[in-house]
Amino acid sequence: MSAGTVIRSTSPQRPGLRLYLRLAWRNVWRNPRRTLLTLSAVAFAAVILVFMVSMQLGGYGAMIRGATGVFTGDLQVQAEGYHAKQRLRTAIADASSVEARVAAVPGVTAVSSRAQAFALVSSATRTYGGMIVGVDPAKEPSVSTIPRTIRKGRYLSGATSDEAVVGQALASNLSLTVGDEITVLGQGLDGSLAVAVLKVVGIFSSGVPELDRQTVEMPLASFQSAFLLGDRVHAIVVRTGGLEAVPHVAGLIRAAIANRPGLTVLRWDQLLEGLKQGIAMDAAVGWFLYTALVLVVTFSILNTFLMSVLERTREFGVFLALGTRPRILGRVVILESVILLLLGLAIGTLAGAGITAYAGVHGIAFSSSEELLAQWSLPARIYPRLDLLSVTLGPAAILLATLVAALFPARRIRRLRPVDAMKAV
Amino acid sequence: MTDIVACHDLSKTYRPDHLAVDALTDIELTIAEGEFASLVGPSGSGKTTLLNLIGGLDTPTAGEVYLRGQRVDTLAPGELADLRLNHVGFVFQAYNLIPVLTARENVELVMELQGLGTADRARLSRDILHEVGLEGLGDRRPAELSGGQQQRVAVARAIVSHPAVVLADEPTANLDSQTASSLLELMRELNQRHGITFIISTHDPMVMEFARRRVMLRDGRIVDDTVAA
Amino acid sequence: MARLALLLRLARRSVLRNRRRTLIILVAISVALWAMIFFAALTRGWENDVVHNAIFTLTGHLQVHAPGYRDDPSVDHSMKPPNATVAQLLAGTEVAAWGTRVRVPAVVMSEHDTAGVTLVGIDPAAERGLSFIADAVHTGRYLDSPDDRGILIGRALADRLGTGVGKRVVVMSQAADHSVADRGFRVVGLFEGDREATEMAYVFVGRRTAMTMLKLGSRVSELAVMLRDRRQLPAFLARLRTAASGLDVQPWTTLEPMAQAMVALGQAWIWMFFVVMYVAMAFGLVNTMLMAVMERTREFGMLQALGMRPRLILIQVVFESCFLLAAGAAAGIGLAAGTLSLLHGGINLSILAQGAEMWGMGKVIYPAAAVVDVIGATALVVVLGVFSSLYPAWRAARRVPIEAITRN
Repeated sequence: MSAGTVIRSTSPQRPGLRLYLRLAWRNVWRNPRRTLLTLSAVAFAAVILVFMVSMQLGGYGAMIRGATGVFTGDLQVQAEGYHAKQRLRTAIADASSVEARVAAVPGVTAVSSRAQAFALVSSATRTYGGMIVGVDPAKEPSVSTIPRTIRKGRYLSGATSDEAVVGQALASNLSLTVGDEITVLGQGLDGSLAVAVLKVVGIFSSGVPELDRQTVEMPLASFQSAFLLGDRVHAIVVRTGGLEAVPHVAGLIRAAIANRPGLTVLRWDQLLEGLKQGIAMDAAVGWFLYTALVLVVTFSILNTFLMSVLERTREFGVFLALGTRPRILGRVVILESVILLLLGLAIGTLAGAGITAYAGVHGIAFSSSEELLAQWSLPARIYPRLDLLSVTLGPAAILLATLVAALFPARRIRRLRPVDAMKAV
Repeated sequence: MTDIVACHDLSKTYRPDHLAVDALTDIELTIAEGEFASLVGPSGSGKTTLLNLIGGLDTPTAGEVYLRGQRVDTLAPGELADLRLNHVGFVFQAYNLIPVLTARENVELVMELQGLGTADRARLSRDILHEVGLEGLGDRRPAELSGGQQQRVAVARAIVSHPAVVLADEPTANLDSQTASSLLELMRELNQRHGITFIISTHDPMVMEFARRRVMLRDGRIVDDTVAA
Repeated sequence: MARLALLLRLARRSVLRNRRRTLIILVAISVALWAMIFFAALTRGWENDVVHNAIFTLTGHLQVHAPGYRDDPSVDHSMKPPNATVAQLLAGTEVAAWGTRVRVPAVVMSEHDTAGVTLVGIDPAAERGLSFIADAVHTGRYLDSPDDRGILIGRALADRLGTGVGKRVVVMSQAADHSVADRGFRVVGLFEGDREATEMAYVFVGRRTAMTMLKLGSRVSELAVMLRDRRQLPAFLARLRTAASGLDVQPWTTLEPMAQAMVALGQAWIWMFFVVMYVAMAFGLVNTMLMAVMERTREFGMLQALGMRPRLILIQVVFESCFLLAAGAAAGIGLAAGTLSLLHGGINLSILAQGAEMWGMGKVIYPAAAVVDVIGATALVVVLGVFSSLYPAWRAARRVPIEAITRN
């Protein structure tokens, strides 16, 4: 037998994961103080990210629900071109059959049709411009919160009555109270003068300043006859089970009305372009902040990783002299970092989720900024949303960044030579 | 001759709670001014502990330590620091020098702490480096000096402020015998020329030859104390 | 003093000794500070924009109205033009610009569409330096005089109404005698606002033309004043309130509460972020200093053996962290200054214009580093950074590490 065979016959180094784990785990706790500080840094970042991301997503959800719930709805079917230029004649003809089709689409929970026009609104003493909206008094409460925010009086009762509900700010500008009469003066479909005399039965306060300042709601049928619209409407407002379902339902509705050219289905994010962009912008600022935080934490931790390798150079030299392969040492070091990171992230994520869950139940109050928040369709209390995404997003980002940091010192080990390493102090 | 160092009933026990280790027991020792004494004994016999107690680096469990008649063991940490600064010079086995300072700066360090002016420091450090045979090496950092040179800097630093006593703990342990011998030669010269008191702990027979007085320790007790003729 | 110099030298050299570690912690400190300053500058830019917009969109620094106008901005709440005492105040040196306006709700109709707007009758010359409108004309011309018979409308409104320069629109509103006042105007110019809402909300005509149309006689809706320096506002406000007794004199902060609330919110955000970044950085700093101290246990032991008092050792370690913090802070501020100078021309948000409008922003936001934020962020990082390095420093100084110095 030659010497070569002897060498080959020595078993290749395949120590099990258990050995790695044992070595790594003991090394992690060699310097408990440093380990605790590193854990705290990782956990702190995880807590902040879990909480902030949940807050952000919760806030966005509240904003979208608030903004869509009051008036806009999750989806609208409109005549093509109406969204860009809201003209009276850009209307959906034969609306009742379209509405019936839309209502039959699975996933649609509520449907209501509206027609609207800008007109002069006069009380006994005052005249203001306002947006007159013809609504279906029976179905409107299922797509809009306005019927539920009547501060004085009541909502519209009959489909053909000459009743109106008026936004609070507009009512006060017109010096109106419940029971007063208003005259609506606009332009009919054929260009002739459209006149309606209505009795104010209720005054609403939707919380959206723009709506409260200019909206008058009246029965759709009366609106259609006053403005000579026939069976035309401007929007079929649709509610779905939830925001997640919107794109899917939009597709189904599109298919259901495919035989009606000239109609378009608009999602909330298309109807409320400003809201969508506002959220995108806020999210961008959020990402900037989170990136900066993760970066700072990563560099903070990098030093710990680096030191724990450098101070053990001599020890590694002994390992190498004993015949351990550098690659295996590298693995142990990376495993140490991974244990440390996972432990920190676990603690941070749990704590963050705990805090978030608590806040999710009780809400975070922004008492001094209520009015400001209302302007952004936000309630005075924001409930952070705790879900798989909001809990994992931040910690995953930290893990990714810090793992890269952990690889850097581990690479040094591969270049170590036993003799030099053992000389090191 | 006056006593520079006096220890009475000195005991030191490490971890007095459990698994007590008696490092020193009932030590009675006086060292006179100008002596060149060696503490000998196997490792673990208590040499280092005794030096640390004399130099105020450590505090005894029982007993008293006097340095130039001043009680040492009852001082507060800050006072101990001042005592070491002004009255004690240390030379350790290794790693004696502050790595970020040059040889000259290491020597001047003590004087800077004492508040000496720049000119005085420069003059004294130049003289002392010359005396220990390191002329021209003052601007090197410890990493650029050999082991023997580093120990010479340590000796220079220990004596520069004219301390009452220089405590050297195994100063030659990391040196080859030739270098060790010349370092000891230097210390004895300094002892003879300036009358500086040296206490050197060692288990190196060569050191024992150099020292006139030999105090032998075993298991924390003085077992022999002889002065060569 | 000699000792201080020694400590500084020891600290400086120790920091430079482990360059890689120093560099890494410097990156952490400087990135933290950079992000703090940059975020603060963004937020301040947003605030400035909100405030600037609030003031220049017809509000000015302060306004005078008839009592009741703010609740019900109609012809019913009009007032006489400024009396002699008020006029004398307005001629004062602290006033940069002032003007009277007619400002009432109205409806504007083209042959295609109708929209609700605010009709503003202005002295075209007086609006220079008082509001945005004098410099906002995009096509066509600005108004010539209070008697100009043309109308200036926003570009977005023109689009909506399907009208343009040279075409006619009808404006309807309520006259002082409660009759419906309507009058045709030729569109002489289109203006461009910083926000689309502004373009949709206002139409401008000559003030006297409006007064005639609304049968107001000599009465006006409001007096707007711009001061040379916003800080003079409280004093001027007090004097004007005395001079214009019986009238409603209010500063912009009351007239635009939203702008005020946004500023407060921005402030809170800035400090929340500051604290979070500081904590993240502090973990790294404490750990780094702790490592620096632990691996030099022997060195500190040696210094103590040589007679350096524990306090001085503590100071030396604190100096070390001071060097790190100062260098990191300088780099962070430099980085932030560089970033901000790159964004000198502002961040163009036109692709997200509607979203920007939701947050009260215009089409371009100019990040503006406020001195107070830069100082605040730096002070937080440096002062609290030094504070958090006291722990490692205390560990270095707390006792003589006999083991470390005597055993090899």
